[in-house]
Amino acid sequence: MSGWYPPPGATAVIEDAAPAGPGAADHDTFDDRADLLAHRRARRRARTMRVTTGAAGLVALLLLWQAAAMILNDQVALPSVVQTGQQFLHYLDRPYPAQGRPLWFDLYISLRRILTGFVIGVIIGVAAGAAMSASRVIRHLIDPIIEVIRPLPPLAFIPLFIVWLGIGELPKEVLIVIGVIPVMAVTTVAALDEVPEDLRLCARTLGASRAYTLLHVQIRSALPGILTGMRISMAGAWSSIVAVELLAATSGLGFVIMQAGDYLDTALVFAGIITIAIAGLALDAGLRGLLLLADPSRRG
Amino acid sequence: MAARADAVPAAGAQLTEGGATAAHVVLDRVGKTFRRAGRRTVALAGVSLEVAPGELVCLLGPSGCGKSTLLRIVAGALECDEGSVTVGGRPVTGPAPDRGMLFQSPMLFPWLTTRKNILFGPRAQRAAGRDERDDPELDAEAGAILATVGLAQFSDAFPHELSGGMRHRAAFARAMVTRPSVLLMDEPFGALDAITRIRMHDFLLSMWERYLITIIFVTHDIEEAVLLGDRVAVMGGRPPGISEVIEVPLRRPRHAIDVDTEQFLAVKRRIRASLTG
Repeated sequence: MSGWYPPPGATAVIEDAAPAGPGAADHDTFDDRADLLAHRRARRRARTMRVTTGAAGLVALLLLWQAAAMILNDQVALPSVVQTGQQFLHYLDRPYPAQGRPLWFDLYISLRRILTGFVIGVIIGVAAGAAMSASRVIRHLIDPIIEVIRPLPPLAFIPLFIVWLGIGELPKEVLIVIGVIPVMAVTTVAALDEVPEDLRLCARTLGASRAYTLLHVQIRSALPGILTGMRISMAGAWSSIVAVELLAATSGLGFVIMQAGDYLDTALVFAGIITIAIAGLALDAGLRGLLLLADPSRRG
Repeated sequence: MAARADAVPAAGAQLTEGGATAAHVVLDRVGKTFRRAGRRTVALAGVSLEVAPGELVCLLGPSGCGKSTLLRIVAGALECDEGSVTVGGRPVTGPAPDRGMLFQSPMLFPWLTTRKNILFGPRAQRAAGRDERDDPELDAEAGAILATVGLAQFSDAFPHELSGGMRHRAAFARAMVTRPSVLLMDEPFGALDAITRIRMHDFLLSMWERYLITIIFVTHDIEEAVLLGDRVAVMGGRPPGISEVIEVPLRRPRHAIDVDTEQFLAVKRRIRASLTG
């Protein structure tokens, strides 16, 4: 090892590049470390600003809602923010009379259905996508099937699944799986196809084995695309599960909303919708967090 | 420089300053034909070239002359249908870390910091049991090469936070840290702006003099070929191959600023005549 590199104390042969200058094609560049740190600080500031502005928009919406409810003064047509909040907190841990279970339990039921279906769907979808990317024959075999299924709204399958699988948990989970698979297969194929061939060759010339390259370069490189696919299919999974719970379930957030509507408890309808919004945002935030971990260029 | 001039091609490989070997590369009547949709395209035919240990040879020619194909055959990414390629006396059978490769795009891994990009090779080889150094040793090595290429302050920056020139220097460091005996460069500076290109030429010349490594450099830029190369292999013709190998009798060390001396221009004219003639 000794001698391969210049002796200790030797100065760098090449100075850092001079500034690219304003208007240079490569604007996202730095000529010294201070600039790099300043740039990172500026990106953090921009992110704080963006989050603050976004929060202000949500607060404005709530204020507008509250004002409209106070003017309208009809709790059935439009309950106020305060009434909705009270109803939400009240039923969060108390059973709803017509149903016998508290809100958190229905949230848990819906989440369990979504996550079960989502995890299975992602595993099958990513595996299918990887196989399609690896083999031309498999791609030509599976592609038309996905193209046929993809545009169909998963809800169209509900009656079929009820006939085949009954009204238990299984048809609901299968519905999620069916919705998630095509999205994940398509995004996985796209993400793997986008990995440059030379990136693979580069890893191989650095001494990586085929297996190491597959895992640490090809799949790793496709990870941001796969995570984006997961965000898309998670949103689809929420709309599927709520719809199926509205139609054919005796538990879950969709069922609560339906029940509350039947009893003209509009505040609880809103509370159910808000619960879905919060849970959906939380799951998406988790996936977004993973995406930022996987792709440093999106940070900031 | 004397060492390089004295290099004996028949020696197979020559020891450089750091104990790594600069490989002797021999291409013997290499041919490559692509078959696609029933059509045969002869990409290369009868290409023979010897590159001495520590020599810098440029493959120069227009698009489609087969120069990149030839480089990829040496890299082991493509198999030749005719002839043979040996590097340091061993036949090429596939990509391996004794032949480092640099591309027009630096091909850094965007999810790794500069330091981790540089350590990709050693870590991949450690996973395969071919490198037994532990993390502190690897870190020290990465730190040393980061200082050599002038990126010591950017070890924790991600590729998207580096300038174009810095990315290429990082890619160079990543290729060199696995101690290749020959570096294969495929139009590495083709996408850089003119000023960054000049800096990268000086960078490459100084690094080559430091590591005394064999380099095969593919380019379509005559000036670049004359500035860098000991010899320039002019490619072209039907079927594509090496039409002429021209010595560049310019003194070393060379600098990117010396591209308009009378001597330089004379070589340039000679090569242009060979390309167009």
